[in-house]
Parts: sequence; structure tokens; C-alpha cells
Amino acid sequence: MTGSLAGSFAGPGAVTGPAVGPSLASVRALPEWRSAVVLAGDPAGVPLSRVVLLDSPDELGTAAAVDALVVLAGPSWRTAPAWRLDAVLRRAADAGARAALLAGTEPLPGPTRLLCTRLDLCVVGAGGPLLDLAASAAVHLAAPEVAAARAVLTVSRAVAEGRVTAPGPLVDLCSQLLAVPVALTDASGAVLHGDPSLVVPRPDTPVPQRERGSDGAGNATTGETTVARPVLLAGLLPGLRSVQRWLVARVPTSAVVVTDDVLAAASTAVAGWLAADRTAVERDARGRAALLTDVLRLTGEPSPELRQRAAAAGWPMAGWHVGVRVRTGNTTDVAGLRHEALRCASEAGLQLVVAEHGDGWSGWWSSDRSPSAVEVRHLAERFRRLHNALRHITGCATGVGRPHQGPAGIARTLSEATDAALLAAGRPEQGRFLHVDQLGVAQTLLAWTRTETFEPAARSLLEPLLSDPSLVQTLRVYLDAESSLSETATTLGIHRNTAAQRVARIERLLGVSLNDHEQRLALQLACRAVGPRT
Amino acid sequence: MHGSPPDDVWDLRRVTAADVPALVRGADVLGSGGGGDARPAGLMFGHAVGDGYVRLLDPDGATHLAVSFVGMVGAASAFTEELAGGGEFARALRAIERWSRRSATALASIEAAGLNGVTALATAVWCDLPVVDVDLCGRALPRLDQFSLAVVDGALPPLALALPRGQVVLVDGGDAVRCERVVRAVLAAEGGWAALATAPVVREDWSLEGPVRATRRCLELGARLEALGTSASPDDVVAALGARLLGAGRVVEVARHAGAGFGRGSVCVRDQQTSALLRLEMENEYLVVFEDGAPVATAPDLLVVVERRTARVVACDRIRRGDDVVVLQLPAPAFWARPEHVGRVMPRSFGLDVDPVLVAQPAGAAW
Repeated sequence: MTGSLAGSFAGPGAVTGPAVGPSLASVRALPEWRSAVVLAGDPAGVPLSRVVLLDSPDELGTAAAVDALVVLAGPSWRTAPAWRLDAVLRRAADAGARAALLAGTEPLPGPTRLLCTRLDLCVVGAGGPLLDLAASAAVHLAAPEVAAARAVLTVSRAVAEGRVTAPGPLVDLCSQLLAVPVALTDASGAVLHGDPSLVVPRPDTPVPQRERGSDGAGNATTGETTVARPVLLAGLLPGLRSVQRWLVARVPTSAVVVTDDVLAAASTAVAGWLAADRTAVERDARGRAALLTDVLRLTGEPSPELRQRAAAAGWPMAGWHVGVRVRTGNTTDVAGLRHEALRCASEAGLQLVVAEHGDGWSGWWSSDRSPSAVEVRHLAERFRRLHNALRHITGCATGVGRPHQGPAGIARTLSEATDAALLAAGRPEQGRFLHVDQLGVAQTLLAWTRTETFEPAARSLLEPLLSDPSLVQTLRVYLDAESSLSETATTLGIHRNTAAQRVARIERLLGVSLNDHEQRLALQLACRAVGPRT
Repeated sequence: MHGSPPDDVWDLRRVTAADVPALVRGADVLGSGGGGDARPAGLMFGHAVGDGYVRLLDPDGATHLAVSFVGMVGAASAFTEELAGGGEFARALRAIERWSRRSATALASIEAAGLNGVTALATAVWCDLPVVDVDLCGRALPRLDQFSLAVVDGALPPLALALPRGQVVLVDGGDAVRCERVVRAVLAAEGGWAALATAPVVREDWSLEGPVRATRRCLELGARLEALGTSASPDDVVAALGARLLGAGRVVEVARHAGAGFGRGSVCVRDQQTSALLRLEMENEYLVVFEDGAPVATAPDLLVVVERRTARVVACDRIRRGDDVVVLQLPAPAFWARPEHVGRVMPRSFGLDVDPVLVAQPAGAAW
């Protein structure tokens, strides 16, 4: 059934050639129009979109007949005074008409022909009944719209009646209906189903898009247009990009409107499926979050009920665990991206439990026996790879805990990982990744500088510098670099003299000497607490 | 006569043979393409007045006078073929005086445009009466039921027709449309034209009764055209007449068709600069100008076609394909521009289903 519809749709496009819609030429090619004669004006390249039957010129408002064929069906314009015909032609042209159909094939008076040339209006005369010609022209001009409506209906019915239940077959159906390549891509424009050569023109702009095609080298247009329609899912998270998918097609320029309509119908269906998937994801996420909360509260042995729930979720609780905490900030769709996180983990060689946890994910790696120091180092490497992969998807800070044993060890290693993630957020120079083993005792001690009591004190200590973020940064790097000006300059990518000037300015603004050990320590701690400004 | 003389000069103006060239050209302009060629009547007046003069009175000072409106009715071409013997106008006046038992103390023109812009002045010489500068048309109009007195009163005063072969016909009673029908029937039957005189009329305020000072307008416009000399540009003519320029170019088509009433016709002019197509619909006068199919100027404004080279008026019955012309629009007499009067002279009263498109009178115009 869809095949026959696709056939009927392709029809009118094929008649009129690649880049032109219905025109006076295609109307004049109709069998009913065989006897029609051009009486005035140029019949070439006259676009037509509809037929307006006119009994009296007063029926024509402004722009009421844009790109129309006006049929002068009322009183006989042939016997009316010439000025009346002139006047109605002028009214028609003013209303946007491009052609007029008149009874009789006798030539028009010279001035009227001149007028039509001036008005850019082509007048056609016909001997037969005008209404027959008008009706055939109207049917012909409406054909693309009828075909488009059929195609849209086919898509809607196929989805509503359950014959198409997944994006892949839907893309195939659209492609078949439009007789052009169609693809479904993810939000970034990577093709999920359909023709892999299709490209979303501007995936960052969440609006329907049309782009005149180029020949690949990007210079000449080929009469083809890329039509892209975003699949939107509203109200997921505040600030979340609501474009989930793109539907893309590359079509002859004449079929752009039709394609838009079909893709719009398809996008509704895709959005429906996405919403259903989403609901399942959210439900699972809520279950995981609840289970994780219970696991983190664990101090001794888990209850049999908790054991069962963990087993049902596939979460190992016995053995040794290494926790990881990924903080993404609250604008990231952590539930929707969890499977991405899992994919990144397995690509990094990690079999992890991953659960949504506040503004990010918590997860752990488990082993039956205590991991050796070498194994821990290898693990840390894989966690870093995971972190790097996740950074391509979302800005994040990642912390990794030390190995701990038993069900309660999960909470312990995750607590260390959380502290490390907190510190990692302030360490762009370490890629915002920290492993508790690498922190050392002193660094771990620094964690307390994140407390709410220390931060205001640190802020007031650095107050004179806060108006210029580069000064705080310079101070931190200078102190980290053991007061070496050249290393500071290299790290910041500035000239050594600039670094020297900044340090002098910092000392002046703070009223301290950086040669004083105690001052240095206090300022270094304060820099940690205030954190880097990005 | 150069420029506009102060108004008091016009309270009593002596019209002499020297005024004939200006009078004739101005009367042709007010003809709006019709009204008949004023030149034969001008010659007639010049011959009659000799080195004397006719007193032309401003209508404001003529409230006490019994005014008989005189002029030629019928085909101007017939008048030109069979010129007046001189006695027709006086004969019509005497007949209507006898019928109405009142003597006229002044004359006025039935239509101060075209050849009738001059006939009343010639009659005034023959009858030794002053002429009041009020008339029944203020321009050329084709029908008696369009006379301002018919519009104001609903009927015409009794009138006498003197035919060129000597008969006199009196028409009294009935409305203006019937009167028009009777007069047309008589003219079709005998001679084609007649001298017409109405019974003497006394009115309080002539400006309410009809267009005023059309003869003065003829004299002023004509004098300005004469002052242009022989090689005037279209812009000069526009400035001299205070007109709106509708277009200038060659006549590409003239189509004439006989109809039930007066013959109809259509003239197409292609503007030389813009290539716009001007179509002038005409009956006895130019009635509507369409630019590219849309009406841009209509009666009762004066639609005037002048030859580009000579600035001479080209009448409806003279225009030919190939003429190089300038198409102008001049404001109608104030009387016709009034809303209560415009309906009688707008395009629909000539069977053209077009709304009036008029230019505004310049401030302080005397007519």
C-alpha cells in the first residue's frame, strides 16, 4: 500500500523537472488545455500555485491571488470595453496573479498586450468551456499538496496502527515515500538509521533547517536541498538541550515543502518513542538511586532484603571494591547519558556498576581478591581513560577511591572518591581527575579547606586579588611551582617579566612578603579553597 | 494680458478683439477634449466686436440682473460646416423674451468652454448686453440635464432653439432629462446644431447656481499658454496651467465605437519615459485616464491632451494614432467638486463604473 502511495507522490515532481514547481508550462501541457492560446505576455517561467475563479474584479483583495491563475469567468470580458479588461488584469496583477485565462482565442487589442507585458502577466485564451480548463489546472496545481498530504497520512497511519514501531523502519518508510535518502541522527548529527552520508547542516541550532546542496567541494549547488527537522523533547531538565534527534533528507529543491511535512509527521512519532524510552530510563534511574542510597548507608553486613535487591540489579557487594565518582554539574542529563557512561567504561576496559547519584554518577569496580599495587595503578589508568571519554560528552570532574573490602567497603571507597572528585574540580591542571592513592596524606588533608568555615576566611585573605582572576591564578601557580618565576611563566604561558611583575603586584596588594614561610602556607591553602576561576 | 490682474480689474472686464487668441486657447483647455473647436467662434466674435468691447461682469456684482444663458447646442462639426449667419442667437433670445415676457438685462454662456466659451460674448455684441461670468458647466459637458441649473433646480428654465434654417423651437416644462431628449430629437431631425437661449433668470448668489468665472479662467490660462511661445516643453505647459502631468508620449491606438448615445472611444498613449500605458476613455470629452489599467484621473476634472510640440489642445475627435502628446489633469470647477453635485458629472454618470479621482483645487482659486 505504501508503495503505491510513494509512486503517486513521485509523479508530479518528475513532470516538472528538478528545481521547478508547477508552472504555466506544465498546466498548458494538460490535455484539456490543448486548444489554449497565449494572447499576451510571456508564458515562459511563470510559476503557479493555485486557481482563482473571478466573477467580478471586486473579489480580488490585495495579495489574494499570489502566484495564481485567474480565470475570468464572469461577464464576457471579450465584449466589455477595453478599459474593463485592462482594469481587471491590473487588479489581478496587483493581487499577485501571474496568469489569466480568458474565453476565446481571438487576439487582444495591442494596448492590452502591451499592458500585460508591463504587468508581467500572461493571458491565455481558450475556445472550450473555461471551467473545464480551470478545473484541470486546479487539480494539477493541487497534486503536490494532495500527494504530500497522502504521504503525511501514510506516516501517521503506519505509526498509529502499529505497523511501524521503531525509528529504523520509520526512516525506511519516509525514504520510500519521498523517494530520497532519509536519516535519523542523534543530537550531534551522527547517523543512527538510514543513509550515513546525510549531514545535519547546523546541529547546534534547534530549528527546522533547509540548506541548498553543494557538490561536496562546497562550491556549486546541485539543485538539491538538505532538509533537517529536530526531534524535540521538552521539559527534561532545566537548561538541557531538548533536541534529541534529527531527521534529515536530501531532496530536489522542488520537494522541500513536502519533505518538511513528512519529516514533521515522522518527528512526532520519534518524539513519542523517545518519551516512552525516557520514562523507562527515569524509572530505572529512580530505582538505582534508591538502592545506592541504601548501600552507602551500610556500616555492617547488609540485610537479606538489600542483598536480594543488589543481586537483582547485578551489583556485586562481596569482595574488594574501587569506587569512582563523576560530577557533571546539574545541567547534564545523567539519567539519559548513563548508557553512554557505561559504554565509555567498557571501552576503557572497566566492568563497572554505574548509578545516577545527585549531579553525576557513582560507580565501582569489584574483584574477588585484594588488588595489587600494580593492578591499582592499571585501574587508575583505565579510570582516567573513562574520565577523558566522558569529558567529550559532558564537562566533569572525576575522583577515584582506594580499594576497600566487603559491602561496607563500597561506601568507604565511594566516600574517598567523592572527596577526590571535589578536589579534582579545582585542578584543571590535572585534567580534573584525581586518584586518592596519588593524593598523598598532605593532599588529602587539604580536603578540609573545602569546608564552609575555611572558605570565607580564605576569600577575605585573598580579597585584594579577587577583582583580577589572573592574579589569584598566578599566585597559586607560583606557590605550586615552589616560587619559581620561570616555571610560573611557562605554566601560564606568559613572559617571565610579566610573571615577576604580577608577583610584585600581588605582594603589594596583599601587603605581605612571599618569602615568609607562614604567609606562603596560608596563601597556598587559601588559593586551594577559593578554587580556580574558569 | 500677462499674469493675474488684481481681482477688482475683474469686477468689470472689457473683452476686446485682442483677447481672442487667449480666449480661444483657454476655452479649448476647458473643453477637456470636447466642447467644439473655439476658433471659428473666436473669429465670429472678433469680426462682430471690431474695435469695440463686451463688458464681462463678475458674478458677485450681478445679483440684480436677469440673465439669459445662450450658446450653441448640437454637433460642433455641424456648426463648423454650416456656420452661423449671425442672427440665430439673437433670434433665440428674442423668442424666449417674448415667451417669458421678460427682457434679459445680461447674457451668460451655457458652457464657458470650447466654442461656447465665445458664443455668448459674440451674442452680447449683437444684442448690446453685458456678459455675467457664470455658466452652467464650467467646462465642456455633453448633456442639457448636466447643466448646473438642472442640477440645482431639478428642471431647466424655458428655452428657445433657433435652427440655422430659420425655425424657432420653444421647449418649456418637463424635467431636464426629457428636455434633453426633445432637444436631441429636434437637432437630429434638422440641421445638427441650434442657437439656444434660456428665459432670463435672476439669482441671489450665482456661486450656488453654477460654476463661476470660467471665462476669466479661459482668459488667464489662454494668456499663459500664449506667453509660452511656440516651443514649450511639457514641464512649461504643466507649470503654466497648474496641471498634474499624467504622461507624455505617442498615441499607440485610437479605437472608436458607436454606441446607443454619443460615440465612445478609447485612446492609448505610451509614456515615453516610464513606458506606462495610459488609456483615455472618451465620449465627447476625455472622461477617465487609466494608467496601466488603474484609474488615475477622472471627470469632472479637466482631462486635457495637448500636442507636445505646439502645446495646442488635441480634441477627442481630432486625436490620431502617432500623435506625440502630453496628458494633463486640471482641477474641476469648485461647483462640480462639491459632494452634492459631483454625482451628476462623475464617470458613472457617463456609464463608466469608476470612482472619481480628482486633484484638489489650489487654495484661493476663483472658480
